[in-house]
Amino acid sequence: MAKLVLPAGLLVLALLGVPMLLMLRYSFNSFDPLYLMKEAFTFGNYARAVVDPYYQKILLTTVAVALASTLLTTLLAYGPAYWLARMEGRWKSKLTILTMFPLLVGGVVRSAGYMALLSSDGLINATLRGLGLITVPLQLLYTPGAVVFATVGIVLPYMILTLASVIESIPRQVEDAAANLGARPGTAFIRVLMPLSLPGVLAGSTLVFILCMNAYATPLLLGGPQFQMMAPAVYDQFARASNWPFGAALAFLLLVVTVALTTLGSSVIARRYKAG
Amino acid sequence: MKSLELVNIRKEYGDAVAVDDMNMTIRKGELVSLLGPSGCGKTTTLRMVAGFVAPSAGSVLIDGRDVTHRPPYERNTALVFQSYALFPHMSVAQNVAFGLEMRRMPRAEREAKSLEALRRVRLDHLAERYPRQLSGGQQQRVALARGLVLNPDVFLLDEPLSNLDAKLRAEVRSEIRGLQQALELTTLMVTHDQEEALTMSDGLVLMAGGRVRQSGSAQDLYERPADAFVADFVGRSNVLEGRVEGGSFRMKDGTALPGTAVPTARYYTLRPEKIALTSPDQGVPGTLREVLYLGAQTEYTVLLGTTPVTVIRATPGPDDTLARLRPGDPVGLRWNSADARLLDS
Repeated sequence: MAKLVLPAGLLVLALLGVPMLLMLRYSFNSFDPLYLMKEAFTFGNYARAVVDPYYQKILLTTVAVALASTLLTTLLAYGPAYWLARMEGRWKSKLTILTMFPLLVGGVVRSAGYMALLSSDGLINATLRGLGLITVPLQLLYTPGAVVFATVGIVLPYMILTLASVIESIPRQVEDAAANLGARPGTAFIRVLMPLSLPGVLAGSTLVFILCMNAYATPLLLGGPQFQMMAPAVYDQFARASNWPFGAALAFLLLVVTVALTTLGSSVIARRYKAG
Repeated sequence: MKSLELVNIRKEYGDAVAVDDMNMTIRKGELVSLLGPSGCGKTTTLRMVAGFVAPSAGSVLIDGRDVTHRPPYERNTALVFQSYALFPHMSVAQNVAFGLEMRRMPRAEREAKSLEALRRVRLDHLAERYPRQLSGGQQQRVALARGLVLNPDVFLLDEPLSNLDAKLRAEVRSEIRGLQQALELTTLMVTHDQEEALTMSDGLVLMAGGRVRQSGSAQDLYERPADAFVADFVGRSNVLEGRVEGGSFRMKDGTALPGTAVPTARYYTLRPEKIALTSPDQGVPGTLREVLYLGAQTEYTVLLGTTPVTVIRATPGPDDTLARLRPGDPVGLRWNSADARLLDS
């Protein structure tokens, strides 16, 4: 066994770890417009990423969009996840596959789909105009709302599937017991189902939050040129500005903030439920 | 305490009839067992009383009040689930207090009441534990306490002993019966175990295929089964098929059995312990096929003609002639014809 695990482990380490370490090293290098990257050991890139109001705003937008999307995704996913988890018979597997179906199509393609839905002559505006409800098309595309909307749509399947698998592991009799003891559906949800499905909520929202923080195509396509989030900003540094050290620093800043917020979030939610 | 009444209760799932026109009454403070093989509709009936399943027709009355269309949380029933269904994220005390909390009882009062209920099941010292830290038997008692603390109108037990090992089962059986009688709880118990039903109940309702086959006391069902199914299901019985010819019952293989017979009888039923084993010249002659030593008792299989008949006797002492019987020996079977039940169906 160990003979098989060791080379595989080394391979994973090489594929994941080495590029990360390389990037970490780059983030301490300095940038020269003529020679591009120069060997150095400076915190200047990080200092700029943190202090520059332009990048502060990008980071803030990213966190806000990710938080809003995660919250909205959790709220929207709970009902379908519960329904799927408690379903029986042949429809269950069919609907599970249907839930996974959007994941077969890449995020870029789906973002393009949301563009078609939200643009000024897109489906929504065309329908509203056809019904005579509006004369001037609504500005739906290229708004923060559009980014959140599309992000939620893209990450929703992950959340539904994660939640459903955890809810499925909660015996139905436990819910029946709550009702039998006099708990109305809302109370039973808050006192029994919610705390018992908390591991699913935490796992799902952590996964979704990470996906949202690192979203690239959606903010780019649906946010428009004025809208900035971290992943496209990192790409800009590497591809357009050719400033690898600063790009690497931005990437690590994004990583640190993501890890910090998910850890904080999990512990706060877990503690609140332990206490209550 | 309140009475429970089911009036013409019926439940259909698509084309399948799970419970068919069922009637039953439990008087205040009585424990009635709903007995039957799996799939007979007993659990569906219990769930209709608790409110988890809506009847297709008929009504559920608790103390004369129609609760058929009330949701589970508006009925004052307490169901002890087969799987116990304790809340894993709450302590034992919180589990027991949950129902009182739903009834908006002040904290101090509900804590005192829960502790009292836990004391009744001798678990007050484990109040701060979590369900996963308890043994199966202890979890069962927490589930009991969680129900009885509510002083429910109707106490519902779903196969309460099925998840316990044999030794514990006898103990919990008398514990449940003791609590039920002390608190005079009107109780409906569902079980497939006839021993459980016979020993614990004031009354029994035997179901099969969604219908009530017979209801009455344990003695009624055991001594006076209404049909061959009841005779076979409650206790052990020799159910011998045949028909009445010339005033006596003749089995399919032609063997005549003693006793006057109703002309319409198709089954001759006889409890194994009512049959005496004698020499072949006394009683109905047969051949011993098998001897099974069960400790206090011995079970003999005797062929009458080609039909096997089971006889259970106290294990004979070493000097007894019965002790020398070997398979293949000719024997005689004798019984009081009053002990035989001739049934039409």
